[in-house]
Amino acid sequence: MTARLLLPLAPVIVFVLAAAPAATAELDEVVARGEFIWAADQEGGGPHVFPDPERPERLTGFEVELAALIAAELGVKPRFQQGQWDRLPLLLGRAADCVINGIELLPERRRDYHCSRPYFAYSLQLLARRDGPLDAFEKLAAPGPGGRWRVGVLTGSAAEIFMRSQADLEVDVIGYDGTIDSLEQVTSHVLDAAVMDDCIFNFYADRFAALRVVGRPFAGGLYTILTPRDTPRLSAAIDDALGRIIADGRLKSLYDRWDLAGRQQILALRDAAEIPPAGRRSLRQLAGEVLPLLLKSAGMTLLLSISAFPLAILIGLAIAIGRLHGPPILRPLLAGYVEVLRGTPLMLQLYAIFFLLPKVGLALPAIVAALAGLALNYSAYEAEIYRAGLKAVPPGQFEAALSLGMTKWQALRHVIVPQAVRLVMPPVTNDFIALFKDTSVCSVITVVELTKRYSVLALSTGRIVELAIVTALLYLAMSWPLALLSRWFEGQSEKHS
Amino acid sequence: MIAIEELSKSWAAGPVLRDVSLVVKEGDVTALVGPSGGGKSTLLRCLNGLELFDAGTISIAGHRLAEGGHPPALLERLRRDVGLVFQQFNLFPNMSVLENVALAPRSVARLPAEEARSRALALLERVGLGSFAAARPVTLSGGQQQRVAIARALAMQPRVMLFDEPTSALDPAMSAEVLDVIGDLARGGQTMLIVTHDHGFARRAANRVVELVAGRVVRQGSAADLLE
Ligand SMILES: Nc1ncnc2c1ncn2[C@@H]1O[C@H](COP(=O)(O)OP(=O)(O)OP(=O)(O)O)[C@@H](O)[C@H]1O
Ligand SMILES: [Mg+2]
Repeated sequence: MTARLLLPLAPVIVFVLAAAPAATAELDEVVARGEFIWAADQEGGGPHVFPDPERPERLTGFEVELAALIAAELGVKPRFQQGQWDRLPLLLGRAADCVINGIELLPERRRDYHCSRPYFAYSLQLLARRDGPLDAFEKLAAPGPGGRWRVGVLTGSAAEIFMRSQADLEVDVIGYDGTIDSLEQVTSHVLDAAVMDDCIFNFYADRFAALRVVGRPFAGGLYTILTPRDTPRLSAAIDDALGRIIADGRLKSLYDRWDLAGRQQILALRDAAEIPPAGRRSLRQLAGEVLPLLLKSAGMTLLLSISAFPLAILIGLAIAIGRLHGPPILRPLLAGYVEVLRGTPLMLQLYAIFFLLPKVGLALPAIVAALAGLALNYSAYEAEIYRAGLKAVPPGQFEAALSLGMTKWQALRHVIVPQAVRLVMPPVTNDFIALFKDTSVCSVITVVELTKRYSVLALSTGRIVELAIVTALLYLAMSWPLALLSRWFEGQSEKHS
Repeated sequence: MIAIEELSKSWAAGPVLRDVSLVVKEGDVTALVGPSGGGKSTLLRCLNGLELFDAGTISIAGHRLAEGGHPPALLERLRRDVGLVFQQFNLFPNMSVLENVALAPRSVARLPAEEARSRALALLERVGLGSFAAARPVTLSGGQQQRVAIARALAMQPRVMLFDEPTSALDPAMSAEVLDVIGDLARGGQTMLIVTHDHGFARRAANRVVELVAGRVVRQGSAADLLE
């Protein structure tokens, strides 16, 4: 019997055993593998790292070029690793050798990671609507027309740390996952202002023509490359490479090409005369480039849901049977499993599987972690549904099966479970649709599925509404058949009751 | 075939069986009668281990049950030799009529599929339902369902058959067809213990009668004597 209960767990066990243990790569391993893996967030990542507007499947940005220069110095090829910006350092030693993504040099980072010599100097800027009341930084010291000022920042950025440290300002600070989410929110009057690195706003200034820079840049700082503390030779090699790139002027010319050195002049120009927003590419052009990317990510969404849900059902059914008919010592444990998984958010569970398990030596690839997280989370809900279904089968059925000489397990297998499974078909199908949509949460562990792809593309192309409609249609095209199936099951179970 | 000695059982509300002793010999057809709430169903359920009891012993079809819990393996062996037919039929709605009857021979007696099937078909013929083999139980009348339930219990070729008011959920016409089947079994020498309120049927089919009132055996004897 134990074997039968464990059988549904077999795929999970295989995944767990197949997973490679976490290992940080030193310089020799990087050289041996021939690839230098650097992590960054391409979502709203201009001018650092962002999808090329001409070719959205390709990344561009001054840090893409910087990474290529450093890789060339190390004698290897650069490889990009996507991650959520505020969680990029967590990829170190797992999915990436280093992080190059506008990471500000801060005391906390000096404490936790190796920080390379700086490669860029930034300042913070306060941004507000041109037609709004906020026209000087000093105004933040007193309440605005709507009470305390609402100011958006990028979660985990120096802007957030700085703004939260200003106790004497009448400001509520709100953190966002995406770099330019806060600019959107200022434009749409949700926020009064945003604070971010000057180079970022300069890059997106044309997109957000309704916004302006308020006052002088303040609280500047330096960008650094993060490496793990336990790869001193790799860190030294990156420092040496940066030294050469700076000394021979390659960094300067890189910044000239990206127009980063002349940013003050550009700003002066902007403030003197209204610059019309840059032209956008036609929808027809965009469709050819963006649609294949969206379809590919829809495939990821589909793959995640159709592999995770059967697992969730098998685990859930096993748990429901165990709770009602298993050995008594097991029952409180199974109840605890269900309560823990139902009582904590999926996002946290994914986070734990992907970011915390490696700390105890179990590093799962992102897709496997996503599958495991979805399957475990939903198994708790399915367990509750199946438990209700098993209890809804009349007790006379069990007694009739037993009185024929069947064992408890034969009675369950031939008589009780088939009836319970049919009874709960409608809620289970509903949960499949819910899981299907919940796959979007997997982007927190770097899986690029449909929603994540949408937000990356929407920010890089500026076609937020058009792409939202296409994305919604893709989701509908996938979930509609499921909804029909669920309705059909409902009809079936009504017929049989 | 069945020997019950000083069987006692209480629910939280009070005693339901008090020092019940009775014997059913091989080939006997015994009618268990008595007023509602007298403990007839409880006694029947104790006989195949669906209920536990507090004191006394049961010996049935060569198996012995004592007070307290019974080992699962013992119950499984006992139940192969003891068929039980419920008031509410309890057919399995997820299977066809034929599958209902063939399931136990197949999964419990481990007969080859073909053999289990032909045994099930023969039993369905015997209860007059050969043509309903492929039907779903829900599409059958109550009388037909109860006849399938009897065939299902017979499929394990039990040494004793227990019936708990097999016709009380049926109207008279449907009762008659079920009682005919049970009468046939009686003539065929099947040992049976039948809980019934139908004295006419008890007189015709049973050779012995036991009357249970408030958990006590108040009368037992030949059917001819007790049911004048
Ligand atoms: N599971 C139970 N828990 C508690 N009390 C029960 C239970 N089952 C039966 N009883 C009680 O035990 C007593 C005997 O019930 P039982 O069903 O054995 O009587 P019966 O002779 O079969 O009656 P009837 O002719 O109505 O079927 C009744 O008072 C009943 O309420
Ligand atoms: Mg009864």
